[in-house]
Amino acid sequence: MSYNDDYPIPSFFQRIYSVWMRHIRVYFSEFFSNAVPPFFEPIITLGGLGIGLGMVIPKMGNMSYWLFLASGLLVTNAMFMAAYECSFGTFIRLEFRKIYDGMLGAPLSPNDIIIGEILFTGTKGLFFSFAFLVVAWITGIIRNPLSIMTIFIGFLTGIMFAALSMFITSFINNITHFNFYFTGLLNPMFFLSGVLFPVENLPKVLIWIAECMPMTHAVRLSRAFCIPGGIKPHLLIDLIYCLLFTFFFGWISIKRIKKRLII
Amino acid sequence: MNETAILVKNLNKTFKSLKAVDNLDFHVYKTECFGLLGPNGAGKTTTMKLLYGKSEFDPNQDTVISIFGNSPQTNALTIKAFSGIIPQQDNLDTELNVADNLSVYAQFYGFSRKEAKKRIDELLDFMELQEKAKVKIKELSGGMQRRLTIARALLNKPKLLILDEPTTGLDPQVRHLIWNKLRELKESGVTILITTHYMDEAFNLCDRIIIMDKGRKLIEGKPRELLSENLEKFVLEIHGIKKESPDCSNLDKENIRCEFHGDSLYAFSDNVENLSRFGESFKDYVYHIRHANLEDLFLKVTGRSLNELQ
Repeated sequence: MSYNDDYPIPSFFQRIYSVWMRHIRVYFSEFFSNAVPPFFEPIITLGGLGIGLGMVIPKMGNMSYWLFLASGLLVTNAMFMAAYECSFGTFIRLEFRKIYDGMLGAPLSPNDIIIGEILFTGTKGLFFSFAFLVVAWITGIIRNPLSIMTIFIGFLTGIMFAALSMFITSFINNITHFNFYFTGLLNPMFFLSGVLFPVENLPKVLIWIAECMPMTHAVRLSRAFCIPGGIKPHLLIDLIYCLLFTFFFGWISIKRIKKRLII
Repeated sequence: MNETAILVKNLNKTFKSLKAVDNLDFHVYKTECFGLLGPNGAGKTTTMKLLYGKSEFDPNQDTVISIFGNSPQTNALTIKAFSGIIPQQDNLDTELNVADNLSVYAQFYGFSRKEAKKRIDELLDFMELQEKAKVKIKELSGGMQRRLTIARALLNKPKLLILDEPTTGLDPQVRHLIWNKLRELKESGVTILITTHYMDEAFNLCDRIIIMDKGRKLIEGKPRELLSENLEKFVLEIHGIKKESPDCSNLDKENIRCEFHGDSLYAFSDNVENLSRFGESFKDYVYHIRHANLEDLFLKVTGRSLNELQ
């Protein structure tokens, strides 16, 4: 073997793509156990909540309770997925399996690795929402053609919670501490996000809290695409909130995780 | 005159209160194999990490690191593009098979699929892993995983190889295979920087070594020259001995130097006949005489007792 003297550094986009592709390949290497459950999960959550609650609450405003529920669960599903991926998942890659250390032997920077992982989680969010949507279409719960757009809200939810979870991960030294994140932050966020009941009827304080939480905005966006005539100008605020939230926490996460990678 | 591949001057690294690398200076010539030796906690791995930007050195205006003319502070990606890095701990993607591990990594270098496939075939051949191409990582032995990690670092045909304890924990066959491959790479013009605490590994591979301890360089030079400059030619060993029994006085005129460690006696001398006569004087013990080696030198300069980091 002989060595050559031409060692190009891949472009920024190539590097991000290569990290993203690494995760995709690892994810789909266990195709059955990774790609099938996202299609069953909506059947179980929708069935579980919809059958029971749907009998008590036939209508929610101008839509059926089934539609109300499905249009929100579509993205909360992506939220929990992203939260697991970038808390336990990231921590294990970072601390136990030293996957990032291996990647840092190649011409990749910590930024490439973190951005690539956030985008992968977004892609997974898109996939999870899509799986949910397919089930909701087949069962006839969601009929609005524009609902296909919710897969992008799934992507947005994915990167938003990837960024937030990485931010949390950057503080964690003991993996069991993630329990506080899930029980203390994500579960309340789920209940306050307007997925099970409308936020508007809550006491004022809770409305304020709900409006501060990112999930509320993602649910609002998702629901708007699922009901005919749901798109309203004020949704732009929700969209901007989600984007700002992602950039803000993404940016701090990059700063903080980098300090754990380059020591 | 040899060209310099790696130049390190006044390198310092502090972790909280621990000085991991302390004013280290060394240089590596092109196509040379250079060894960093030292006990655990000597700062070998930290030094390696500082060279490719995995770790940041203490800010100091006198510090110089140049890797083929590049600084890890500003050009870490350039350095990594022409280097192959083998970390101490294997960190393969256990979900994927052998060939896929390599093809995922090939993408980090921006290889096309076709280029990657060709290179992967070459490397599986080179590291004798052809038959394992479709096998999952979990089913590989430790030695195979190590060979795969080395193959992965060779994807870009590096001109510099940075190996952190490449053969720790491997059986003799695999160690010799890896040594052969590293020598082959060196022959083809690759510069090699290696850390190890196997003295035979350093003796087998390295043109020059430094022995370091507590972040500092203790000695530097060619293995053979270091031996002849710092140690007598022969060593006599007797184990299981009681400290009171031997009479080590009057050995000076025989040119024998004696050391006790635990229940072992080591006697050093350039004169093998004097040594065997000395050995014969121990009627109740078995002695053996051998050539002094790098391990003796290592123990001489780093001390025989353990420190708090080992």
